[in-house]
This record gives sequence, C-alpha cells and structure tokens, in this order.
Amino acid sequence: MILRLLKVAFAEWKLFYTDPAAVLLLVVAGVLYAFYYPTPYINQTVTKVPVAVVDLDNTVMSRQLIQMAAASQQVNVKSVYAEMQEAEAAMAREEIFGFMVIPENMEKNIRGNHPVSVNIFTHGAYVMLHGAIGTAFSTCALTLGATHKVKQIALSKKVPSTSAMAMRDPIPISIQTLFNSSGSYSNYVVPSVLVVILQQSLIIGICVLGGSRAHRRFRRRFRDSAVENETAEIRYFGRSLAYFLHYCSFILFYHCIIYNIFDFPRRGEILPMAVFSLVFLASVINLGMVVSQVFLRRESSMQLFLYLSIPILFLANFSWPSYLMPRWMVSISYILPSTFAVPAWLSIEQMGADIYEVAPRLYQLAVQAIVYLFLGLLLTRARDKAKIDIGDM
Amino acid sequence: MLLQGLLNTIRKIYFSHNIVLWMILLVLPVGVSLFTMGMFSSQIVQHVPIGIVAQDDSMLADKIKSRLRSSPVLNVKMECGSMQECERAVVRGDLQGFLVLPNELERRALRLESPVIPIYSSGQNYLTNMFATKEIRAVLSSVGGEIFVPQIEDPVKTEIHSVGNVEGNYQGFLALGLVTAIFHLAAMIVGVYVVSFPFRDHRVTEMVKYAGGSRLTLWIASVFPMNIILWLASVGCYAYCHRILAPLTLDEFVMTAAAQLFMICACSGAGIVFVGVVGVMRIATGAAGVIGSPAFAFAGQTFPVMSMPFAVRCFAFVLPLTHVLKIQSMMLLGDVSMETSWHSLEILIGMAIFWNLLGAFLMSMRWKRAMRKEVEWMKESA
Repeated sequence: MILRLLKVAFAEWKLFYTDPAAVLLLVVAGVLYAFYYPTPYINQTVTKVPVAVVDLDNTVMSRQLIQMAAASQQVNVKSVYAEMQEAEAAMAREEIFGFMVIPENMEKNIRGNHPVSVNIFTHGAYVMLHGAIGTAFSTCALTLGATHKVKQIALSKKVPSTSAMAMRDPIPISIQTLFNSSGSYSNYVVPSVLVVILQQSLIIGICVLGGSRAHRRFRRRFRDSAVENETAEIRYFGRSLAYFLHYCSFILFYHCIIYNIFDFPRRGEILPMAVFSLVFLASVINLGMVVSQVFLRRESSMQLFLYLSIPILFLANFSWPSYLMPRWMVSISYILPSTFAVPAWLSIEQMGADIYEVAPRLYQLAVQAIVYLFLGLLLTRARDKAKIDIGDM
Repeated sequence: MLLQGLLNTIRKIYFSHNIVLWMILLVLPVGVSLFTMGMFSSQIVQHVPIGIVAQDDSMLADKIKSRLRSSPVLNVKMECGSMQECERAVVRGDLQGFLVLPNELERRALRLESPVIPIYSSGQNYLTNMFATKEIRAVLSSVGGEIFVPQIEDPVKTEIHSVGNVEGNYQGFLALGLVTAIFHLAAMIVGVYVVSFPFRDHRVTEMVKYAGGSRLTLWIASVFPMNIILWLASVGCYAYCHRILAPLTLDEFVMTAAAQLFMICACSGAGIVFVGVVGVMRIATGAAGVIGSPAFAFAGQTFPVMSMPFAVRCFAFVLPLTHVLKIQSMMLLGDVSMETSWHSLEILIGMAIFWNLLGAFLMSMRWKRAMRKEVEWMKESA
C-alpha cells in the first residue's frame, strides 16, 4: 500500500512540475512572494517623515520647540510657516504629511501659568504617519511643558529640581516590546502574510490540479495509467502526501532562509513547529481537496481565492482584532485554517511558544483537518461517480 | 450594421449564461468589498486585553488598577501572580501586553524615588499595541499628576487631529483603500477572463463572426461593458464606505470617480496584455494575481512609499492603485488638493491609454492567429 501511495505521490509531483500553471502556483508563488512581500518594508520603521511647524508665537520658547522637533528621529521638519494656510497647502501637495501649530502667545501664557494647547494635524489617510507624527510632536511639546512644570513646582514648593522632577512624574513608565524590540513593521506584517501565502497557493494549486478526482480531463493522455485508476483513498492520500512533503519544504525554506535574510525573530522549537506543520498542512490540503471538487474549470478556483485573499488575511486576527468584528464574520473565519494557523505560527516562531501554549490552536487545526478529510473523501467519491460533460476537470 | 454587430457580441459575451463572468465581474468584488468594510464596522480599537502584575498592594496600586479597568480602550483580563504568568499569556495570544506595579510602589513614590512602572507589549500587533500603550501611559500620567501637585496643571497640552478623518476611524484609514485595491485586482482578473475565454473554448471565429467580422468591434464589445460595470460597482462601494467620513463635494466625487475609472481601464488593459503575451487564461490569471494581490502593500497607504527602497518605489509608481489611493487621500483634505491630484490623474490616463493600446495590438494578433488555427481544426475534423 505504501508503494502505491508513493507512486501516486510521485506522479502528482511530476504533474505539478510539468504544468506551467501549477509550477507558477505551487513553486514560483511560494518562493517569489517570500521575497516580494518583505521588500517594501526592508527599512523596517518609518523615519524622517516630512512635516512642518506653524509658528504663530515666534519667541525663544517656540524656536526651542521647533529645534526639539527637528532633532526627532521620526520626523523631518521641512519648513516653518507663519500662516496655517501655507501648511495646509503644503499638506495638500503632499510635500508634508503633518504639521504642529505653536499658538500665539505660547511663551507668555506658559510663563504666566496659563495652560496652552498645541494642535497637531496629520494626514487622515495614512495610519502609520498619523502615529509617527503625533508621537514625535506631542513628545516635544509635552517635554517643553514638563520643563516648565518642574520649575513651577520647584519655586512653589521650594524643593530642589530633582525632587520637583520626581513630584511632577512620581511614577515614570518604561515601555518594552517583548517580541519585536525594534518596532519593525515587517516583523509584524510579513510572518502572518507568509502563512496566508502558503494556504492560498496550496489551495489554489490543488484546485488547479483537480484534487483527488479520477480521470482529470486535462490529463486525457494519462486516463488509462495505473495511478489515475487507483482507488479514491489511495489517490486522495497519495496526492495529499505529495503536497504535504512539498509544502513542508516551504516551511523549512521560510524558517531557515527567509527568516534569516530578512532578520525576523526565529524562536521556534522543533516539536511545536513539526506539529504545527503537520496539522496546518493537513487542514489546508484537506480543505483544498474539498474545494477542488466544486469547480468545473481549473482557473475558477484561482479567480475565487484571489478575491478572498484580502478578507482572509484580515480574518486571521493579525491586524484588526477579531473581537471587534461582527460575530457572524468570526464564525465564518472558523472554516479557514489561517484563522488558527496565523496566531499559532506567530506564537511559535516569533514568541517561542512551547507545544502546550499553542495546543488549543493546534487542536482547532486538527479538528478542521479531520472534518475536511471526511468531506474530501465523500466529495471525491461523489464526483468520481457524477457524469459532468462541461469544463476541463 | 456596426451597432448591430456590437450589440450581438455584447449579448454573446455578457448575457449567454456565463455565471463565472458575473461572479468575478460583480458578485465577488462587491461582496468582498462589503465584507471588508463590515470587518472594520466597530471603527475604533477598544477593549484591548491586558494583564497586571500587582506586586504592590497599596492604595496607589488599587487606584491605578481601577483607572485602567474604567478605560474603554483597555480590558484588564488577567491579574497575574508573576511576570512569567503574564508573559506566557502574551505568548498564547490571550493578552496584548501587561504592566508591573512594582513592590513598594506607593512608598517609593511618596519618598520621591520615582519607581518605574514597566509596560510590556507583545510587539506583534501594531494597532492594538499602539493603542494599549498610549492609553496606559495616559492613565499612569494622570494618576501620577494627582499625587503631589494636583493643583498645578500641565502647562502644555496637545491635541492630535487627523485631517479628513476626524475620529481616527479605521474604516476610513484602511477600508477605503482596501475597497479600491479589491477593484484594482478585479479589473485585472476580469480583463484576463473576458478576452481569454474565447481562446479557451475555441470560439474566436464565432465571436468575430458575431462582431460582423470586425476585430475592433469585438474589442469594444469585450472591453467597454466590463469597464463600465466595474467602475459603477467601484464608485458605489466607495461612496458607501465613505459615508462615515465628511461628505465629498461634487468636484471631489468627480475627481475620485474619474481616478477609479482610469484605474479600472488601466488594470483591465494590463490583464488583456497578460493574455496577449501568454495566451492562456490560467497563466494570465496567475500573473494578474501575483501582481494585483499584494498591490495594496506597495501602494503606500499602510507603509509609506517614501520609506520603501528605490526599486520598490519604482514598482509602486507603475501600479495604478498607488495613484488612485493618492487621489483618494488628497480628496480627504478637501478642495485644496484638487490641483495636485490632476497630476496623478494624468498618470492614470497615460497608463490606461498605454495598456489598452498595447492590449488591443496584442489581442488583434492573437485573434488573427486563433481564427486561422480554428479554421485549420475545422478542416481537419471535417
């Protein structure tokens, strides 16, 4: 039986290395995307965002604030304007992506102990720039305010400046990121996307090759071969074995090469990674086998799954938390392996989780794999018996 | 005669029980766009799960805990006995971060020893981590400010305004761009499908016959309806998504709609070129997917184009999506951006003309060759 399984697996390998569409999906896509996706984020963080300052005060203190902003790593103060309209026009031309307005009489009001409000305007379309500009400008403005507050406390409470500093901020904070110390955008985006790439390319690839169906029409020449006439179970498991081994090599390729080249954290231990690969690939392959029985034409799956890539990525809870999504969407997401695989992969590879910590997600993937296995076998038998005259599958 | 040929061909391509075509032309792009918008329906980030390691059992620690609990942005999900417990919860994905209220927090704060409160975030979720740490910082600084000098106000306060997206709404930040990205991909896929299915089904001769023997008529009948349908669907989805932001003026709406029209023309033209080059629907669809699917990552709405390497910036420039998103984001700022957005529109018009002319040329040759082949097959089979 093992020999028969291996024969089927070998025939399937041969097929997907000789079919250009399958090569594109099952070989080229996995390799190409792994380099293609991380490349835009190779600089990892957003620095030196062009910004401006509108100085309506024009005093020593306002110039000090401008100097502080100019020294910030996140922004690059390109211009100092005297009018807000000039800054708005520059933002409209996309020469700058935000500006800070230093209000009139800022120094006078601060020295007279009247609080002032510094307004920061950012471009409403760019989420990362909004964060970077807002943080840089508010840090500068609040630092300026803090300096004055310390002086105020020292004078009013008659304490030395060190005590005044401690009184202003008696419980200072220190922020640490546990698993992405550089705050890199690529560390956050790319690992999740890689899992979705594996899933999408594998499902589409299986569909393009017709899953475990007998007598695939696009292989008319091989209709009488022993492999095509194997029992449904041998065909199913043999072809699954070919995909499984092929995609195991992709996981190894990502872990050993892509993670090294792009310097992603690599904390995955062998046992959780092996179990993850087993249940994730089993779940995806079986889902692919199920879906492949639905299509009459080889390219239809491609057309469908290409559309679904964007929602599938967001349903995986990596960018927008799932508890903020409508309940029915979360329920739909349970049919996708990526919903459990993306968090499991991040826990294992990025955070170094052990097998017990990711067990709940691996169980969910295993349950999916079993359900899809039964469905896949059932549909394959049904499809083998059905007489459909249209399409190329 | 010409008009009759045109109408006949349109009827044959679009209204001859071609379910797949209508699925990819209308049902999927609209459905996926509405679904994507629905994902961000809560609009702002709330209830981020965090943990607290309370090593101190003082009134100050209690005050901090109750303030954190009352914040709508945070959800204090766990009180851990040790740092390891919280860290493991972060690894499991149960928490996004945690803070440690160190031993003798209150006593040391009152003795002006400035005890540091460490905040640990996972770093694996950009949005929720950013919101959680910002909120924890705000809560702690407000509690800290009340200990010694509650009567002295902070001399400088800051207000951050997101122009064109006042509430920092994520349907505005992300969904608008994603919807356009979906139609960017849709135009490529449909472009590939409409011109390649006659090759797949060996029906080129039949199609040309319906078009009155004119390849130009066949071209117009193939390309125009799909561009118009996709454009109307795209503008409709965009307008629906935009309802949460400040309404567009007529000028702004016309500019955005024009940008989307030329993007769709350019992308469908590019899809047609893929078919013209490879001649097989499967491979052309694969190529459209490889270029169209990740386009949103390159278009600069999430990670800015200016921070990308030079080669990637060149690729981003070639993508129509980059220019449409630029126009869409400019329109958020109001009329002041109108003049600048003309430049992006000119680029889009140029792209639409280039891809369509190249596509028309390549398809004309492919159709000619396919007709010759089909005649040969017919002769052979006869």
